[in-house]
Amino acid sequence: MATMGNNNINAKLVLLGDMGAGKSSLVLRFVKGQFLEFQESTIGAAFFSQTLAVNDATVKFEIWDTAGQERYHSLAPMYYRGAAAAIIVYDITSTDSFARAKKWVLELQKQGNPNMVTALAGNKADLEDKRKVTAEEARAYAEENDLFFMETSAKTAINVNDIFYEIARKLPRAQPAQNPTGMVLADRQAERTRTSACCS
Amino acid sequence: MQEADLHDLSDDPDYAASQQQALGRSLYRSDSAKSTEMDSGGGGGSETVYVKDNVAIHPTQYASERISGRLLLVKRDSSLFMTWIPYKLSVGGTDSTGRSSNAGILEKDRKLYTIKDVPLADVHSIRRHTPTLGWQYIIVVLSSGLAFPPLYFYNGGVREFLATLKQHVFIVRSADDANVFLANDFQDPLQKSLSSLELPRVVSVANGATLHGSVGALSSVENSERRNGDMQIATSSSEYSGRNKHKLHDPARDISIQVLEKFSLVTKFARETTSHLFRENHNNDSSIHERKQLDHKPSSASTDTQKISSAPVAPDPLEFDKLPLIWGKQRQQPLDVKEWVCFLDAEGRITDSKALRKRIFYGGVEHSIRKEVWKFLLGYHPYDSTYAEREYLASVKKSEYEIIKSQWQSISPAQARRFTKFRERKGLIEKDVVRTDRSISFYDGDDNPNVAVLHDILLTYSFYNFDLGYCQGMSDLLSPIFYVMEDESESFWCFVELMERLGPNFNRDQSGMHSQLFALLKLVELLDTPLHNYFSKTECLNYFFCFRWLLIQFKREFEYEEVMRLWEVLWTHYLSEHLHLYICVAILKRYRQKIMGEEMDFDTLLKFINELSGRIRLGDILRDAEALCVCAGENGDACIPPGTPPSLPLETASLYPQQDQDDI
Ligand SMILES: Nc1nc2c(ncn2[C@@H]2O[C@H](COP(=O)(O)OP(=O)(O)O)[C@@H](O)[C@H]2O)c(=O)[nH]1
Ligand SMILES: [Mg+2]
Repeated sequence: MATMGNNNINAKLVLLGDMGAGKSSLVLRFVKGQFLEFQESTIGAAFFSQTLAVNDATVKFEIWDTAGQERYHSLAPMYYRGAAAAIIVYDITSTDSFARAKKWVLELQKQGNPNMVTALAGNKADLEDKRKVTAEEARAYAEENDLFFMETSAKTAINVNDIFYEIARKLPRAQPAQNPTGMVLADRQAERTRTSACCS
Repeated sequence: MQEADLHDLSDDPDYAASQQQALGRSLYRSDSAKSTEMDSGGGGGSETVYVKDNVAIHPTQYASERISGRLLLVKRDSSLFMTWIPYKLSVGGTDSTGRSSNAGILEKDRKLYTIKDVPLADVHSIRRHTPTLGWQYIIVVLSSGLAFPPLYFYNGGVREFLATLKQHVFIVRSADDANVFLANDFQDPLQKSLSSLELPRVVSVANGATLHGSVGALSSVENSERRNGDMQIATSSSEYSGRNKHKLHDPARDISIQVLEKFSLVTKFARETTSHLFRENHNNDSSIHERKQLDHKPSSASTDTQKISSAPVAPDPLEFDKLPLIWGKQRQQPLDVKEWVCFLDAEGRITDSKALRKRIFYGGVEHSIRKEVWKFLLGYHPYDSTYAEREYLASVKKSEYEIIKSQWQSISPAQARRFTKFRERKGLIEKDVVRTDRSISFYDGDDNPNVAVLHDILLTYSFYNFDLGYCQGMSDLLSPIFYVMEDESESFWCFVELMERLGPNFNRDQSGMHSQLFALLKLVELLDTPLHNYFSKTECLNYFFCFRWLLIQFKREFEYEEVMRLWEVLWTHYLSEHLHLYICVAILKRYRQKIMGEEMDFDTLLKFINELSGRIRLGDILRDAEALCVCAGENGDACIPPGTPPSLPLETASLYPQQDQDDI
């Protein structure tokens, strides 16, 4: 398993999904360990970075959190272009948000980078009593579309780090160094000293 | 010249250390500007530490057209302020030909060039020029990168001026250019670390404490970021500090290059502004000739030219004469009730709306009268309406609002089930109002009725303007309006007026945003070419990192009270309808060295800009923006495509007045 060697990888990750599904909350939980009941809506886009250690490698996620409203859809390609990973988020208490998630999946299949690691996150898993989308339905859909699926809660932190960790684990395999489309290998400023031989 | 420097400034570490301690006692306080506003009548606690007469500014390249005045350094509440007040009439303008046509221009200029209580904390550097022959002058460069026009000391005294300065503020001679003196406030930690990073030599001549301070500031940033991660998660901050440390190796030389860039900018615009302001004089061909004759020491000019050409700054002294730069005025106290009623005639009309708008532009409005004043600024109340007319309007508009509101209120659950668009729209609004400004007490708590009103107004608006509908960001624009108006119908109509201008920000094709982002690109190109080139090189010319600023008029960048202040200033449209674009330029200029120095790419830049939220000093930025706007003049206007928000949309521009008539 630990075959990645001493790699440092920069991976661009984009969050997509209906507004209010909890994209910003997931990022905030992952990057700052916080949760805000009244997380402000995202205007334009927000950018965060966070580094994960996976076995011998570190993956520095460059995370784009986007505005979810349909109106801003035209801006989305700017953010998912060149992304190595995407998390498509829906709210388990909203069937509309699940429908919207499926649209995103389609769009990424058509427009996105074919090697992109895509995760489907059923967020607000803490709101079991309000659930409208069953885990089974979502999992079946995810399997059909070759996504990996988790139910998360930004509020309770369940599965939040895990989903990012899982993506980090999948990245180098999906993206061998010889074919780094959409994934920027760490050859920038500070990391320049490191040799970039990697992957088996 | 060199020996004269001995007493000019002490470069010795002990002296610097003592000054550093003074800084530790916060010599400059961020509220210094405020305090001067309050006792603008002078007196109480202020002490004049330096006075010099016959200090002049040359508004044009003609030496004959100088404005003489008195230069003062005033100490108030342990802060030092610089003031230059031109004399009444053209005492100094000893124009032998006595062109009376100049009187008006000079009067205008006297106002324009007056330097009023500029805190030394805002000064970045002072360049002195003391030729052996000819007049001495200084150029004061502000930390915003803007410079005052050269101040000529006709009776000498530059050395005394600098010596007085150094007794009261921390100034150090630039290691690279003996004629440049760097002044620094070390107010906020960000600035502190920035300044010490930018001015490595200053740090080294000062003392270990400063250096230590800056490192401390850096590591505390690191710590706070580290706290956020957990064991397996390392943050990116180490990379930042790594870069910063790298920056430490850069010689202070950088600064003079920066200053140079600024000078060239100043020169470029000063020429245009000057020619604009003094158009009449330019058709007077004899004036150049006159200048030569009037020049007391014509030989000095050529000597200077040779001397300066080896120095990096401004090759031609005549060039300096063309330098005048207009700068932002001191901000005033907000307009209060007493002053406000003076703008109203017996029947409640505002007779001089321009004067009112100007007043608000420079000081804003006291909160208690915002409710009244904003209705005019937003265009809901015509300036020439009477009390009676406004009362009538309010009642008509109230019932009109109720009618529109009833359009959606009458939708039954059964109908809603068959009305997807309505359900979606309502859903969007519901999601957004509950996360709009909930930290403000006016909107906080469970089931806050004010949140419900936001919802109702927005949903009603989405019926009033069904084509535009609801879009994220609108709740941000409405929130302060309702906070001020505290009335549903009035808030709705004020919001309608605001959206007449900002609606295009939310167009599906993004046209309103694109035209603003494009205008911003052109303005930065005009006002800060090196920064433009940098953005070009790093493929940042789409300016999407400013998207949030523009979409909701800086709503997320300032504290609530400041947002209201900024908005009322913007809504005056006093200097320009597009002051908000100059504000963008002003902010970018403040951070240009950091942006370019750290070689930020688009992602980093976006993150950096988003994180500036809450850290931008509104007063300073408004002054910079005003200065940039005046500087850019017609060239600036030319950068902004017609119909760019908040201008009224082109195709409908002529429709609105008619609509207004129909309404009443
Ligand atoms: N109960 C619960 N609420 C959540 C969760 N994640 C987000 N929220 C709330 O859902 C709302 C929208 O979240 P936000 O992150 O802004 O969604 P975005 O528009 O997709 O970025 C906010 O009020 C959050 O507090 C979650 O896991 N559980
Ligand atoms: Mg969001």
